[in-house]
Amino acid sequence: MVKAKTGAAETAAPAAPAPSAPAAPAPSKKDAPRTMRDLRLAAETRRRVSTAKQLDNPLREGLRLERVPDANVFVLFGATGDLAHRKVVPALYQLWRTHLLPHEFVIVAVGRRAYTDEAIRAELRASLDQFSRVQPVDEEAWAELAERIVYHRGDFNDPALYSSLGERLDDMDAQRGTRGNRLYYLATQASAFAEIISQLGRAGLDHERHDGGWRRVIIEKPFGRDLDSAVRLNREVGKVFRERQVYRIDHYLGKETVRNLLVFRFGNGIFEPIWNRRHIDHVQITVAESIGIEARGAFYEETGASRDFLQNHLLQLLSLVGMEPPATFGADALRDEKVKVLRAITPFTPDQARSEVVRGQYGPGWVSGKPVAAYRDEPNVDPVSETETFIAARFTIDNWRWSGVPFYLRMGKRLPKRATEIAIQFKEVPHQLFRDSAADPEPNLLAMRIQPDEGIMLRFGAKVPGLGIDVRNVTMDFTYGSAFQTDSPDAYETLILDALLGDASLFTRADEVEQAWSIVDPVINAWADEPAPAFPSYEAGTWGPEAADDLLAREGRRWRRI
Amino acid sequence: MTCWRARAGGGGGSEPVVTTPFYPEDPKPGTILAVGTRSRGGRIELVSAPRPGEPTMRWQSQANSIDGIEKELVRIWAQPSAVAAVGGGGPDATGDADAPRGRHVAARTSVMNLVVIARHPELGERAGETINRLSGRHPSRTLVVLAADPDGPPWLEGRVQAYCILPRADAPETCSEQIFLTAGGETGRHLAALVTPLLVHDLPVTVWWPGEPPLESAAARDLLAVSDRLVVDGASWAGDGLARLRDLAETDARFDRLAIRDFALVRQSRWREAIATVFDLPEFLPYLGHLRRISVTYATRDETGAPGTTNVVKPLYHVAWLASRLGMRVTAPLAPVAAARQAKLRPGEKAPLHRGLSARLRSATGEVSVVMRPVASPMPAGTTLRIELLAERRGQELRADVTAEAENVHVHTWLDGVEAEDRTFRAPRRNDVDLLGEILEGNGHDRVGDEALRLAANLAGSASQPGRVHPD
Repeated sequence: MVKAKTGAAETAAPAAPAPSAPAAPAPSKKDAPRTMRDLRLAAETRRRVSTAKQLDNPLREGLRLERVPDANVFVLFGATGDLAHRKVVPALYQLWRTHLLPHEFVIVAVGRRAYTDEAIRAELRASLDQFSRVQPVDEEAWAELAERIVYHRGDFNDPALYSSLGERLDDMDAQRGTRGNRLYYLATQASAFAEIISQLGRAGLDHERHDGGWRRVIIEKPFGRDLDSAVRLNREVGKVFRERQVYRIDHYLGKETVRNLLVFRFGNGIFEPIWNRRHIDHVQITVAESIGIEARGAFYEETGASRDFLQNHLLQLLSLVGMEPPATFGADALRDEKVKVLRAITPFTPDQARSEVVRGQYGPGWVSGKPVAAYRDEPNVDPVSETETFIAARFTIDNWRWSGVPFYLRMGKRLPKRATEIAIQFKEVPHQLFRDSAADPEPNLLAMRIQPDEGIMLRFGAKVPGLGIDVRNVTMDFTYGSAFQTDSPDAYETLILDALLGDASLFTRADEVEQAWSIVDPVINAWADEPAPAFPSYEAGTWGPEAADDLLAREGRRWRRI
Repeated sequence: MTCWRARAGGGGGSEPVVTTPFYPEDPKPGTILAVGTRSRGGRIELVSAPRPGEPTMRWQSQANSIDGIEKELVRIWAQPSAVAAVGGGGPDATGDADAPRGRHVAARTSVMNLVVIARHPELGERAGETINRLSGRHPSRTLVVLAADPDGPPWLEGRVQAYCILPRADAPETCSEQIFLTAGGETGRHLAALVTPLLVHDLPVTVWWPGEPPLESAAARDLLAVSDRLVVDGASWAGDGLARLRDLAETDARFDRLAIRDFALVRQSRWREAIATVFDLPEFLPYLGHLRRISVTYATRDETGAPGTTNVVKPLYHVAWLASRLGMRVTAPLAPVAAARQAKLRPGEKAPLHRGLSARLRSATGEVSVVMRPVASPMPAGTTLRIELLAERRGQELRADVTAEAENVHVHTWLDGVEAEDRTFRAPRRNDVDLLGEILEGNGHDRVGDEALRLAANLAGSASQPGRVHPD
């Protein structure tokens, strides 16, 4: 069909007599009948394909913005857990309040503990007071949503849970008109993911029906703890669900500025021509947190900054900055391009892992005017722990666009402040005209802040008013808060709505997850072969170990002051 | 510019001007002590820190000429901390003498110009209020223009205000300006001349014309010629609203750049969604080409229900949207249905309601009859109560019945009398703030809306046939 289309396009142009076009080569006689046939076949195929599409409903035109998900049941595994209370249910409430959920909507909360429907509703309502983005809670909207929440008790390992769940879901379809559409949300411990998914498969809860009922599954992070476990989990998931049914959450992708990164890069004509090695000197991506590990000692001991941030959020940001323009904004076109970036990063050799990656762990210090304990003194942390709370790395993307442009990534706990930022440092001017100026003109810089103040900043040189020519750096600052005064939706609202609408663009695909692990794995393995690091290596409330500064200093660069 | 006659405020006095709290209906405005320190108003200090998400007025001054207003607009932003000073202090107080406990830096923002033409002061105030509620999403320079005393001498009075809002407690405050212009006499008839100098350049101009816009007047034409978008509410027009609807379609055809949005049409988007969903089913889709009858029932308060007394713009838009999407054309415009012969009324018996309006459309497959029938109802007059679609194809009959039920739209479908589908869609009632917000969100022409408007005008008896095609 592709061939037929090309043929049609080639002959269509010369067929129309264009007086201005000088002597376009006429199609040879031998070609003509074949291409006519191609034309006709192509048209026929087009007709056949188009009748099958739902978009053909002429009443749909112009209604796109109004789209509300299909009627569905939202099955929330781990409903009594922290994530459900903190993020998932507040996001669902917010979606309901703003009329973005369908009328036929049911939340089946699945958990191990004994609850009644009323009890779970009351508990979720209580946590809304604490975690809802918009306060006070709209009682009327909540009451409508609450009557759509039911509790289903069971042990995730028990096959009986899934058979009773299946019956209950079928009942829902009959009673509440949810039309067989189901979204399974796994908000449980990561260790339960594989079990729940295979049980869903065993109970036949994964089967999409012929009459249109869809089944989707949202899987929370962490997705595996190394390449092996990620591949294994992907295999388990793949046995039950098809890839298009699977939505792996990386909530960073749901953040407004991260999504804006795509708009910024591909919705503006002026940046793309300079978005390459000819104009960009290097890129810095910083995720700084002032908080420590917040009573999650046991969890953090097992993960560390490399697994908790580098493998997912940092590499996601890197691939969004570095990707080629996708052909469409469709889920797979977008993710294809992102995976290509990750594939272009050559995994480190053990030597490189030593020289290009810096790890650190905070000692005691002062953050925001308060004394804080060392990581090793946090509860549930090994007093001789070797877990890293800081990581900085220098990556290169070995492709045509980025060859030779370093991407510096850093992430740390207990840094002086909370800030997430992507900074694009442009090259210096080729010839310094204003050498006599009091301050050297610095190269231009484009910074995209993701939190706390979402916005974009461009730094450029300007003449200081007065006699003589003095150049100072000034900034052109755009903050979301100043152009758009409303709050942005929470990442979870964006992502849950996308999953309900069947748009997987902002979710990570199996190959993407595996590719990211294959970048992080050699680093972790190299550390395992090394002697114990001299931890703690930075004082809480500072910008990480000195080695991180050296990583840039040896190339004559420095971290941007944030 | 010299012909303006001072009305209020006066020239060079230097006594402080005290203004009243500006949100009288807001129960908890965060007590505002409004003291201007300049000759004609100025900065307004707040006693307590503003609450996030709530717009507060931080500047008010007056002027009696366009030049004066321009100077005031400059003055607001001339002092960096002028509107930023906030009582209550903060951890990073600046220590500036003028703003001793200043905390948030105010930034000025605008993404568009919004011009409201109001016939009465109350309408203007209400529009200002609506726009204020929207300033979070659509910060704009707002001009509210009131024409007063058309037969008197020419004069102009301007009130310049700056509203600021804290998006979050820890974010910088952002502000935008509102200008209330009252123009007397001849001045009020030159809207374009009043408005143009006060627009922020290079930003799109939206004209919101609540009430009854005199679209055919020279003043309106001049103003619309420099505008990008006109927002009206067809459901608020007097009589049946059809004459003005024809004018609106003509205005749309006259100005290429102007995009027209009607609240009455925008309001119906959830109905359209519900109707469209019926035909998402592949087995029902083919029936769309074989519609035979579209009937709409609307509420009336009029005892006779006679055509001409109840605004029928909303029910008409439903028909027009369907017809324009399905490529139908009008063969007979709306006309009153002839009353059936009627037995004499007994004393005390009420005459039955008028049988409404009917029209005929033609689709590719045949004639389509249109009926719009009034029903006595406590709902606001002109509200659509029910839409019935009837389609016949290969001897089978599909009937879809769409009704409004409190906050929901209910869709019921039958195939040959057998119930096929029964669905409910959430369709919350939306107020002016929501509608204006939705309209401002979109940009450029709304092709679907334009076509519906054109077809509605044709149904209303406009002779001009669809011709203009938008470049987009």
